[in-house]
Amino acid sequence: MNRTPAQNETAAVGRTRLLHPTPRTALAGLLGGAALSAGVALTATSGWLIVRASERPVILTLLTAIVAVRTFGLARPVFRYGERLVSHDAALDDLAARRTSVYERLIPLTPARLGTRGRADVLTGVVDDLQDVVDAQVRVTVPLIATTLTGVATAVLTALVDPGVGLAVTGLLVVAALTSWLAWWLEGRSQKELLAARAEVSRVSELVAQHAGDLQAIGAGEAALGWVREAHDAVEAATRRQSRGRALAAALLPLATAVATVVAALTVEPAAVGAPVAALLVLAPFALADVLSPLSDAMRSLARAQASDARLHDLLDQAPATGPTGHRLPPATTVRAPHLRLVGVAASWDGARTALPPVTLDLPPGTTLAVTGANGCGKSTLLAVLARHLDPASGRYEVDGVEAREIDLEALRSLIAVVDDEPHLFASTVRENLRLARPDATDTDIDAALAAAGLAAWRQELAAGLDTRLGAAGTGVSGGERARLGIARALLSGRPVLLLDEPVAHLDHPTAEAVLHDLFAASAGRTVVVVSHRPDGLDGAARTLDLAAATLALEGR
Amino acid sequence: MRPFDPQLLRAAPAARRPVVALAVVGVLQGVATIATAFALTAVVLAVVKGMPVGRPGAWLAGLFALRAALSWTSERVSAWAGSRVSAALREQLLAAWLRADADRRPDPSHAVALAAQGTSSVEPYVAKYLPALVTAAVVPPLAIATLAVVDWPSALIVVLTVPLLPVFAALIGASTRDATQRRWQALSALSGHFLDVMRGLPTLVGYGRATRQVETISSVSQRHRRTTMETLRLAFLSSAALELLATISVAMVAVTVGIRLSHGSVALGTGLVAILLAPEAYWPIRRVGAEFHAAADGAEALADIQGHLATGTGSEVAAAGAGRDDAARRLAASLARPATVVASGLTYTYPGTTVPVLDGVSLTAGPGLTVLTGPSGTGKTTLLEVLAGIRVPQAGTLSTPAAHLVSQRPFLTADTVRSNLALGTAAGQDACWQALRDVGLDGVVAAMPQGLDTRIGDDGFGLSAGQRARLVLARATLSEATVVLLDEPTAHLDPESAGIAHEAIRTLAARRCVVAVSHRPELVAAADAHVHLEQGRTTHSDSRQDREAQQ
Repeated sequence: MNRTPAQNETAAVGRTRLLHPTPRTALAGLLGGAALSAGVALTATSGWLIVRASERPVILTLLTAIVAVRTFGLARPVFRYGERLVSHDAALDDLAARRTSVYERLIPLTPARLGTRGRADVLTGVVDDLQDVVDAQVRVTVPLIATTLTGVATAVLTALVDPGVGLAVTGLLVVAALTSWLAWWLEGRSQKELLAARAEVSRVSELVAQHAGDLQAIGAGEAALGWVREAHDAVEAATRRQSRGRALAAALLPLATAVATVVAALTVEPAAVGAPVAALLVLAPFALADVLSPLSDAMRSLARAQASDARLHDLLDQAPATGPTGHRLPPATTVRAPHLRLVGVAASWDGARTALPPVTLDLPPGTTLAVTGANGCGKSTLLAVLARHLDPASGRYEVDGVEAREIDLEALRSLIAVVDDEPHLFASTVRENLRLARPDATDTDIDAALAAAGLAAWRQELAAGLDTRLGAAGTGVSGGERARLGIARALLSGRPVLLLDEPVAHLDHPTAEAVLHDLFAASAGRTVVVVSHRPDGLDGAARTLDLAAATLALEGR
Repeated sequence: MRPFDPQLLRAAPAARRPVVALAVVGVLQGVATIATAFALTAVVLAVVKGMPVGRPGAWLAGLFALRAALSWTSERVSAWAGSRVSAALREQLLAAWLRADADRRPDPSHAVALAAQGTSSVEPYVAKYLPALVTAAVVPPLAIATLAVVDWPSALIVVLTVPLLPVFAALIGASTRDATQRRWQALSALSGHFLDVMRGLPTLVGYGRATRQVETISSVSQRHRRTTMETLRLAFLSSAALELLATISVAMVAVTVGIRLSHGSVALGTGLVAILLAPEAYWPIRRVGAEFHAAADGAEALADIQGHLATGTGSEVAAAGAGRDDAARRLAASLARPATVVASGLTYTYPGTTVPVLDGVSLTAGPGLTVLTGPSGTGKTTLLEVLAGIRVPQAGTLSTPAAHLVSQRPFLTADTVRSNLALGTAAGQDACWQALRDVGLDGVVAAMPQGLDTRIGDDGFGLSAGQRARLVLARATLSEATVVLLDEPTAHLDPESAGIAHEAIRTLAARRCVVAVSHRPELVAAADAHVHLEQGRTTHSDSRQDREAQQ
């Protein structure tokens, strides 16, 4: 990816900041430390109370201990409640801030830097990664502060009474720190492998579930189950490897506790400190072990958050695919389509590999063009250049005779409507879903656009008319209807240039043909460029360009 | 919602071993925990009484070593069990769908979600919730029973207070259920908003509306935060109340033991064991509650999966199978008799509709090529699917050996040419090349960078339409099925590609019974028999001999 040194630096800073506590997470850690300390104190003072009581003193001397036991018993849940409230509120606040900033940083990178296919899945990944990163505060930072505070407090207090026991407790803490580090290291090392194996299971099982009938038809059911089993074996192997770290941490802690307890029992001098305090000191490592055991879960979350953070940075630290532009306004072409011309334009997504070999293409207003050609010959790249999503690497892109890079980016893009292979339907009404393309559109305009996209009958069936809700929780929409809604949106926008990238890639033959037929019929007067790897329905275009052949011809000249 | 449904073990036999392993480790851990309390007491007693620590210390060390081994095993087993159980469920679910006919499969989007995410969410249920459940079932009873033997008054306090935990939890749950439910709905709408906007970002950018959403995201996220905190406050409060109840109970045990000790009515060792054992009766129960939240999705998915396994498989399918038999048996049978499809009175109505698509179709197709024609919408595709056994007719009889159906959008996946070609067969290198020669594709594949091992994309991305059509024909020739059904095999090909494909179909028909739906006059002309379908009925059928006799 194209990163400048400065960007690398900010990435590194971002990564180290993952665990940096804000004042509120620090407060939560403090409260958590108080809760954990109360728990340790509860066990220890209970021990003291019992042993002191067995010496049969006057009941009044026990009273302090009884009050202490009750106080610690009360304090633990109260502090923990406070800790959870503060840490979750801080994390949610942080989530809100990060969501906004990540979204803002994504805008200039969209769509060219999100990959050419499956962009919605990339963006879903961003949402999940962001959640993992923010979770690290609640699951890692706060427990780390709380555990450290409690551990250090226990070590200091025991050391004040009996240095030998203090040393034993310190030893326990050091072992816990080392095993946590080991757990984190092992977890992080196998993270990538496990993620890849899980992704493969998702891919294969989605493929089989989606195509169960097709696989049945060719008698490939057993073969398909074989793929699934193979993917499962890989996940199982990766899971086993990853569980090693946690298992090691889980096993080392009891061993260290045993050693610390025995050392404490051997070094403590009951004659010097008194039997009750001796009991308290011997029980201290045991009480502390409860506090230390959740650390391995925290390390797991840390490894996860770091992987997510790295992915986020890889995505967000990219440079936009379009450089700075001039501020010329495009010729007044809201009614008429502009004359688009590519002269020897080549393009590349990463600056290294040529995705589109030099191509020359003339698109006078009103041209309808179908671009075909084998996979990888640069069809989608061509469209991205035309849409001004991607700067050409060489050659000229002219809009009514003016170099495109001299024209204001937003102004030029506002002449062009792009429909990709996965038009998104927002969880909103039909009206709002369409109106986002043209906010001042009336219901009549919307109905006209729907009809032009071949959705008149579908519109009639809608239970609540244009108020019918679409999207995740709304009415189900078939693949064909989704493609048509994307086209209706583009038509409604009134933009004089329509660019369609594999609009019917996921549809069956008859539907694909019908959708494109309606598209060509509805877009008279506009410039339309359709890219497709399938020939269905492309005969409606006035011109066809076999891109592989076209670029080859130009190279050979 | 029951804590654990034994149905899981019946529905997924592969889950038995992992779940049993989890239970065994859990019980052993419980016993070791109880024993530790005694060893720790012995150590403290030795210290207090100034006796040598050696023996009790060794015991303690030994027990902790045992616990270390058990913790190690438990982590390993639960991770393995989680992935094993979800894998077993996924495999069973997919196997059931691959066996079931089209009407018995859920719609693809639901199937995809259940097979990928649904089964995965069972993992935390098995890996975290079930071990917690085992611990809660084993440790508290064991702790209470031990207490009862060692110091019954402490046991009494515990017995009286432990049941308060679930009762308290249920009371809190019942009194806040409506509020919680309402909030969860609001919450899922709010948290869904960001995902929705993000997935739609390319669309928003495309229409210049992206920047306007920044404010909305910020305000919706803050609203999300407030609503979440309202929900969490309640949840945290109730768990704090439960914790308070538990710690107060433990403190009660400690204080009463202390007072009884000072009266000399109980021994120090007994008192120490009592205060060390008492917490063991409470925390496992609280942990189940905490883990259940994380496992709730898994429990829900599990119920859904069990529903699908119960309806998707079983005897009904076999009983209903006019067209579906055990694939292996059909294959064996097909080798024995000549490849002939005999169908009579086939009637099929799509679920949720009233008009039958097939209305008493009769058809006999012997070896050679039978071409099926008819206007669109007369059920030609449906007929092929019925003949292939993918759909089960509501009436009529059908006798056919195992069939290979090449549908209009045949399955091609992102993999090598070889694995797409040999899919469902055990064909080797030579057979693959022969099949490619049969369809005139050998030259194309030989010219590819890695020959048979060249990767193609999803849906045959990277191949031309004609190449895709011929590749799936080649696959049909490799199939062991003696009946091959072709749905519009050359509808979208240019004349040259279609000519090569028709040639291949003729070659195929020389060895098998081929039934092809096609509108191509040249294919009809080349057919051994021609069947015309109109409005769900056979209206015309003739053979080549009939036609030649007419001329």
